[in-house]
Amino acid sequence: MSEAANGAERELDLGWMDRTGPWETRAEPGKYGLTIADISIGDYGDAPEVSDNLTGRARGAAARPASYRIGAYAVRSKNEIWLDNASFLYEEALQRQWSSATDVPWHTIEPLPDDVEQAECQLATFLTEVEFVAGDVPARWVSLTTPDFYEPRQVLLAQVMDESRHMDVFRKRALANGGGLMQATGATSGFVGSIDLSRDFTEMSSRLHVSGEGAVLTLFRMGELMAQNEAEKVIYRLCAQDEARHVAFGVMHLRYMSETAPERREEIHCYLDEAEGGLIGAANPVGQLTPTSESMAIILGGGKENFDDGMNKIIAIRRRQLQEYRKRVISAGFGERFENGRSRVAQMIEEAA
Amino acid sequence: MANKPAAKPSSPNQPAQKPVPPKSTASDEKRTFEPKYNWMNKTRQWGVRVKPGKAGLRLGDLNVGIYGETPTQWADQSRNPRGAVPRRGMPPVGYSIRDKAGLWADCAADLYEEAIQRRWAPATDVPWDTIEPLPDDVEHAVCQVCTELVGYANVDIETITGWQHQMSYGYHEVKQFLATASFDAARHYECFRKRALANGGGLGLEGPGMVNRMILESRGGWTEAVVYLLIMRGTFAMTLYKYLGRHAHNDAERFIYGHALADKARHVTYALDHLKYAMAHADDVLQVVRTLIAIGEGGLTRDLRDPVLAEALAVVFGRGVAKAAGRGMAVYGDMMRDYVATYLGYCQWLGVPRDPARLPPPLNEYANPTGAEA
Ligand SMILES: [Fe+2]
Ligand SMILES: [Fe+2]
Repeated sequence: MSEAANGAERELDLGWMDRTGPWETRAEPGKYGLTIADISIGDYGDAPEVSDNLTGRARGAAARPASYRIGAYAVRSKNEIWLDNASFLYEEALQRQWSSATDVPWHTIEPLPDDVEQAECQLATFLTEVEFVAGDVPARWVSLTTPDFYEPRQVLLAQVMDESRHMDVFRKRALANGGGLMQATGATSGFVGSIDLSRDFTEMSSRLHVSGEGAVLTLFRMGELMAQNEAEKVIYRLCAQDEARHVAFGVMHLRYMSETAPERREEIHCYLDEAEGGLIGAANPVGQLTPTSESMAIILGGGKENFDDGMNKIIAIRRRQLQEYRKRVISAGFGERFENGRSRVAQMIEEAA
Repeated sequence: MANKPAAKPSSPNQPAQKPVPPKSTASDEKRTFEPKYNWMNKTRQWGVRVKPGKAGLRLGDLNVGIYGETPTQWADQSRNPRGAVPRRGMPPVGYSIRDKAGLWADCAADLYEEAIQRRWAPATDVPWDTIEPLPDDVEHAVCQVCTELVGYANVDIETITGWQHQMSYGYHEVKQFLATASFDAARHYECFRKRALANGGGLGLEGPGMVNRMILESRGGWTEAVVYLLIMRGTFAMTLYKYLGRHAHNDAERFIYGHALADKARHVTYALDHLKYAMAHADDVLQVVRTLIAIGEGGLTRDLRDPVLAEALAVVFGRGVAKAAGRGMAVYGDMMRDYVATYLGYCQWLGVPRDPARLPPPLNEYANPTGAEA
């Protein structure tokens, strides 16, 4: 029996006390508690340009020469995933978590006319279907990213949680008011250039965070127009809050990429070209005329009899989507595409006038 | 609309102009579009009205009628929500875990809602101001333990996120529960890092990594990963949190370990429920788990023979180097006996009982329950 097990004293080696990362670190909590920005001090705040950490150790910890190389990380260059405000987005996500079970006033949902309930359920089916592409895909990228870039990983993990809640809140809405789920659209299927299939993080992020979730964010911000009751208003408001963080991740990452890897700018423009096609496509409920946009028109008009009125509102929302998309791309540092004739967005905005 | 002059007919001697399709504009769209409404009435079950209960409208409450039917296989590789009418002919997304036995646990929906209710924010919920300077040897030990715990959380994160996206959409409760589990791990990751950097110390030495390797190399299926990640490591982490909580130096540490323990208990609950389900519903899983744990115990003992974690814990439990070898190691022994007893109990419950005498050393030495702290 070992000494520890039988209670006998043994000599301790304690050699590990001399094998540490930088010492005498004293991070202080600030106004918002002790955030991950507050612990990014001294060498602990320095993420390497290229990570050679393949053992999964915490950034700044002392390495063991005999450690197994179990990381197999695909994302090891900082500019592939980094953004400057990850700490803020992550800490905000923690502060703004909500519960679809208890924070939505479900009792405010009252029976609706059949056409409106069907439209609500078609939209909820669509959102239940598409929300978790933004969970599945970021999760996969987290598993491929070195912990030396743990800050962006934390934001993506919060996103997976947010999307899980979005998937469930719309399922709850579909089953809460005498309706049911309707037909799926296949909007997130495995097409070339889809969010799932991207083999590069920035390509994925430009499509998921900037164009895809950007469009959804505009939609959720129009929740006041869409909601039939207080419960739906709360759902759209809380989801919009979450989506704003996801979109900010993409915009800030593109900005960082643009500044630190200008050789990739042309390639990013190509992704944006593709993304702009999708902005009026079938995956956008206020894009082309699809089952989801028909249901949106009924919701926005307040019934089948006001379909045209609903269509006018759809087109107004689409215009706003496009305007907000343009602002985000400019903010990300790719605004020249709107000056040099490359982007069709101005024309699309005009068409939605 | 003003009348436009008719277009001049092209001369028979000139090639006909290529017809230009009219440019579609939004006003055309408004004017010409006739809704088809062919999506209406396409539902597999209508008239569902789930009412919120005392704990609100919970994920599990939605499992009524066809919406609660979870078949043993889910062939659909799209994100067709369970119970919706599928759209045929769509290229698959590519989900590899399509058997219910490969991931299911009945408790997943409840654990999901529980995780959300019990959420916490390390930045603001931990009373960081209660941390006071500690003797240098104790601070070194706390920082070393936190470095190991950051490593554990890292493996939780990488493993769960590596499997979650492979799980079929039809079993969404499990995917959603795992979203809470990887978010819990994210919290643990930053929280232990924060503790290490908050009190005049820093990070210590990375862990020996054999169990990490076993977990990350579990490529055969999620169920195999669960055995190593959530039963073998998860139970160990849970035991560490419990003893560290008892020997915390301040309210901040007590809060952190207490909350990490509650989070981890959910993960282990899922694991036990899932393994029980998998063993009952899929051939050979029981035998595979038996083989895996026999191999896994060997890997675990390799990590346990490395002195770093044991010594750091002994310094924490002994409140300094002076009493680490005596009092500290005695508590470490209690902790290990507690761990082994819990682990053997889980194996027994799962139907893969272990003979304590045949556990590899030093695990077998802790299989004696006498002397464990209550
Ligand atoms: Fe979302
Ligand atoms: Fe999102």
